[in-house]
Amino acid sequence: MRSTLGRLTVMAALLMVVVAVPAALGQVPTIKIGFFAPLTGPAAPDGTSSRNGAQMAVDEINAAGGVLGRPLGLVVYDDRLSASEAVAIAHRLIERDRVVAVVAGSYSGPTRATAPIFQSAGIPTVAAYAVHPDITKAGDYVFRNSFLGTIQGKAGAYLAARILNAKTASILVMDIDFGRALASGFRTQAAAYGLRIVSEDTYPLGEKEFAPLLTKIKGLNPDVIYATAYFAEAAQIVRQAKALGITSRIIGQEGYDSPKFLELAGPAAEGVIITTNLNRDDTRPVAQQFLGRYKARFGIDADMVGASSYDAVRIIAAAIEKAGVVSPPRIRDQIYRIANFDGVTGIIRGYNKLGEVLKTVQVQIVREGRFRYFAVIDDPAVITPPTE
Amino acid sequence: MIGFWQQLINGVTVGSTYALIALGLAMVYGVLRILHIAHAGVFTLGAYVGLVLHARTASLPTAFLGAMLACGVAGVLIQRWLYRPLLNQPRIVPLIASIGLFIFMEDLFRLLAGPYVLAFRLDAEVRPLEIAGAAVTGVQVMTLIVTAVLLGAVWLLVGKTWLGLGWRAAAQDLGMAAAVGVNAHRVVALNFAFGSAVAGAAGVLIGALYNAVYPTMGSVPAYKALAVIVLGGLGNVWGTVVAGVLLGLVETFLVGIVGGLLPRDSIAFVALILMLLFRPTGLFGER
Repeated sequence: MRSTLGRLTVMAALLMVVVAVPAALGQVPTIKIGFFAPLTGPAAPDGTSSRNGAQMAVDEINAAGGVLGRPLGLVVYDDRLSASEAVAIAHRLIERDRVVAVVAGSYSGPTRATAPIFQSAGIPTVAAYAVHPDITKAGDYVFRNSFLGTIQGKAGAYLAARILNAKTASILVMDIDFGRALASGFRTQAAAYGLRIVSEDTYPLGEKEFAPLLTKIKGLNPDVIYATAYFAEAAQIVRQAKALGITSRIIGQEGYDSPKFLELAGPAAEGVIITTNLNRDDTRPVAQQFLGRYKARFGIDADMVGASSYDAVRIIAAAIEKAGVVSPPRIRDQIYRIANFDGVTGIIRGYNKLGEVLKTVQVQIVREGRFRYFAVIDDPAVITPPTE
Repeated sequence: MIGFWQQLINGVTVGSTYALIALGLAMVYGVLRILHIAHAGVFTLGAYVGLVLHARTASLPTAFLGAMLACGVAGVLIQRWLYRPLLNQPRIVPLIASIGLFIFMEDLFRLLAGPYVLAFRLDAEVRPLEIAGAAVTGVQVMTLIVTAVLLGAVWLLVGKTWLGLGWRAAAQDLGMAAAVGVNAHRVVALNFAFGSAVAGAAGVLIGALYNAVYPTMGSVPAYKALAVIVLGGLGNVWGTVVAGVLLGLVETFLVGIVGGLLPRDSIAFVALILMLLFRPTGLFGER
């Protein structure tokens, strides 16, 4: 009896706290920003990084006094990398949570499914790192803070032909939208540079055994292997290539940009070069502070995914500040007017009318188990996004 | 020609792991006529136990023996507490129970170890070789050796011991074997223990081969092993081994020659369908 009574007392006390706290802060309502990412399932490492980056941006902005004198609140959901789950989340964010803007911290599948929903509700949405072209085509409320697959593919060809002076390349295509977009960008630009493609093979997502394809590529001995992949497949590719004694340089993309890639690939990752969104050796204070604070807070090196979500939150916050009022259409207008924004993922020159970002592509190389600066690509022929 | 030898070694290594996983499944089917889907969960358990033991003791033999022991015990428990009570039910009942157990095990691993892919690096411990210009990694060498040892053990057990005699008797007719004095429960339990232990070793090998241990690593093997035991002639242990190695070779050469036209994992099922249509007794089936 007594323990039941005790428990009731504690519950009552807790209830009072829950009721009292929001009342005390009631004078300054938070500005709610919606967020979703795959926090469980196979993409959990990326989803977690993404949430970490977004949460860190919110906390730093709040510590500095918030936006328009009001604190930001991040409303976080786990989409489990499922488009149908993400659609339900989108409706919840709009109807129940009543967010004023959204950061899509997920992959292309969930982001692409939700973009038209946010568009029709008139909620400005920034896709942090999703690459599918259809996302920004949803309309004028949807922006992208990372490169389209085709742009990264072109950057890969530029890296191979212009920076590494390669003459021949083999392509490994991951059989999903992302892999196909990368490969098509690479192919187009390779033709322009006279880089000869000696083989092109497709593999399904989740493949573990690359030795049959790599053995074939070994016989062709290309200067570079343009291997499109996410971190788990990327780790298998570079390990198995090394084991087979392949000496061709492996070129990757932002899918490789994860501490999990470095961990799973181990020493085989040395010398792998990727095109990505984040330069670890960037000397600008905004980047150095981000990298240092992220590592201190989460105990793991920051990656491109976390940096992209961090920037996406800050861009929305800057747009709200400039708008001077918490109104979704005004926030959207201000995102369009952003110019030379000092982001962790580089100087964001602005967004075109489609909502695609214009910024330089970072080239990183793995040295001593870490991503380091290798080059920057700012050739307009490569980095200018399409306008329709 | 280097390409040929390299692909041959790639194919035999992959095929060996298929053979090891499917072996336990064939043994169980041979005696109980149950499609033991949860076998792939036992395989995943082996990978995790091997990973943890290797991280703790840095000893490869400990990792293998520990994984085999843990899986053997798990196999006996599954047989005693899941299949034995269901043996008199229609065959669909143990099959569904088995699928349920497999899903339960996958989620249990996810809750215990997290959804992440864990690295299992043994590269440095086993020395790589070069045969006829083809590179053979240390883990591939280890896979081939362990497979040979385990297959040798199976051959001795089945052919040369009273236990093997009991298995063969039970496989022909469990009731009749019991009537003539075979301790049926013990024979079945040992059958599960041995088949599961072999799957545990396969778990360690595949975890190391791909440097990746994760909760759902059993899902493709679960269904591929089914295809392998059908190809091998349901319950035929040696047919299963040959079918496993053959599947590894066909997958490897097909992907190496025609590229990723057909996803690698689909080949086993195409073969399964053709087999069921045209030769349902399997490649070497007699019954």
